[in-house]
Formats: sequence, C-alpha cells, structure tokens
Amino acid sequence: MISVLDVEVGVHVDGWQAAIRAACQPLLDGGAVEARYVDRCIEMVSSHGPYMVVAPGIALAHARPEDGVSALGVAVATLVEAVEFGHPENDPVDLVFAFASPDNDQHVHLLKALAEGIEEGLGVSLRQAVDARAARAALEEVLVGV
Amino acid sequence: MNRKGIDEPIKVITVCGVGMGSSLILRMTAEKALSEMGVKARVEATDLSSAKSMAADVILGQEMHTDQLDGAAPVVVGITNFMDTEGLKQKLEGPLREQGWLE
Repeated sequence: MISVLDVEVGVHVDGWQAAIRAACQPLLDGGAVEARYVDRCIEMVSSHGPYMVVAPGIALAHARPEDGVSALGVAVATLVEAVEFGHPENDPVDLVFAFASPDNDQHVHLLKALAEGIEEGLGVSLRQAVDARAARAALEEVLVGV
Repeated sequence: MNRKGIDEPIKVITVCGVGMGSSLILRMTAEKALSEMGVKARVEATDLSSAKSMAADVILGQEMHTDQLDGAAPVVVGITNFMDTEGLKQKLEGPLREQGWLE
C-alpha cells in the first residue's frame, strides 16, 4: 500500500541536486523516508552518473530500502526551469519522480503502473496541471489499485 | 537441438545503479520489446556491480554503464530511453539476429 503520494507543482530549482531534493520532500514530510535517504539519492547520481534520467525530460530518483525507508511512497516535482543532469540525450529534465520502498518488492507494481501511466501521457498531464491538486489527481489515477 | 531465443529463453539483464528502479523500468520495456519480437527471454534487473559477475546473454543499460560492461556478455547494448519499446526493438534486432537468437 502506498502511504505517501504527493506532487509539487511549478518548483524553482537551480540544479539537479535541488531538483532531487524537491521531488523527495513529500516523502520526507510524509514520514516515508529519513533525511539521509534524500542525500543517498543525490549520491547515487554522483557515483553512478545520471542513469536515472530514464527518458527525455524525466528522472526517477531513489535509493535503497536500507537507506532509511519506513514506508512505500511516491512523489513528483514539476520544474519551472528544466535542469541538466549531465545525461547525453535525455536532458534537460523538468519532471522528477522520487520513490521509496521499504523492501525489494513493494515498489514493483507502483513502478509498473507509473511506467504505463507515463506511456499513456502522465507526463503531459503533470506538466499541464493547473495546480498541485490536479497533478495529484493525475498521479492517483494511474496508481489506482496499487 | 534447443535453439536459444526460439525454444529456450535467452538471459537478459538490465542494469542501473541500484538495481531496483531504472533497471526495473527497462526490464518491463525489454520484456515487452522481446515478446513483440517473438524472442523467448528471461529478463532480470540488477545493479552495475552484480551485472559484472552474472552470466548473461544480453546486457542492457545506460551507455555510461554498458561502457563498463563491454565483453561481460555476447550482446551489450546501451539504451538511452528506458521507456521506448520501439527504439529498443530497433537496437536489439541486429545483434540478436547476428547471434541467431531471432528468426
């Protein structure tokens, strides 16, 4: 069961680190993760490269269950100014997803639903959402049943 | 004789830094692409360091990772967009045909 689900709309950030922090903030506020989880998400990019920029304009930030996760959560930040992660083809990024899973299984259905949702236009709905409430509704819609 | 990719599955691994997020997305895309191509495959997501020691037929990941995995499997392909099924099919077709894993 998803315990935290939220969207931050129209966020201003000055770089990819701040973009990851913004996407993770609802997970932190909702108690799904500890502060160190957010730092780990940033470290993953520092040590392994911007591989989490999985599609043009879209990043998927996360770290491991043992990095301070207590509940399943997913959050998104839509950015006003797109940022460079240093990805050779998928930059610039204006949609940053973050998720946290307390073990190696609970997030599987969530990510599957998210990937299908993105394929069916979730990215557009989130980018065009008039406010956080509309964005949250778009995200909730693709995650029904997860 | 059992033919790989046709009668018995090829082993495909998708890699990322942690092995549970981006690589899982790529696994789903790869499963879809391979099934549409009619290639029998078992796809598993893993992290970069585990991938180096796993015996796989095909390794897929971002180029920044697959560059480090050259030679770790007969087919190593760098993928930019983890959600693009059609693009993945195009990238896989040549190498899989070359190995005889695609009819």
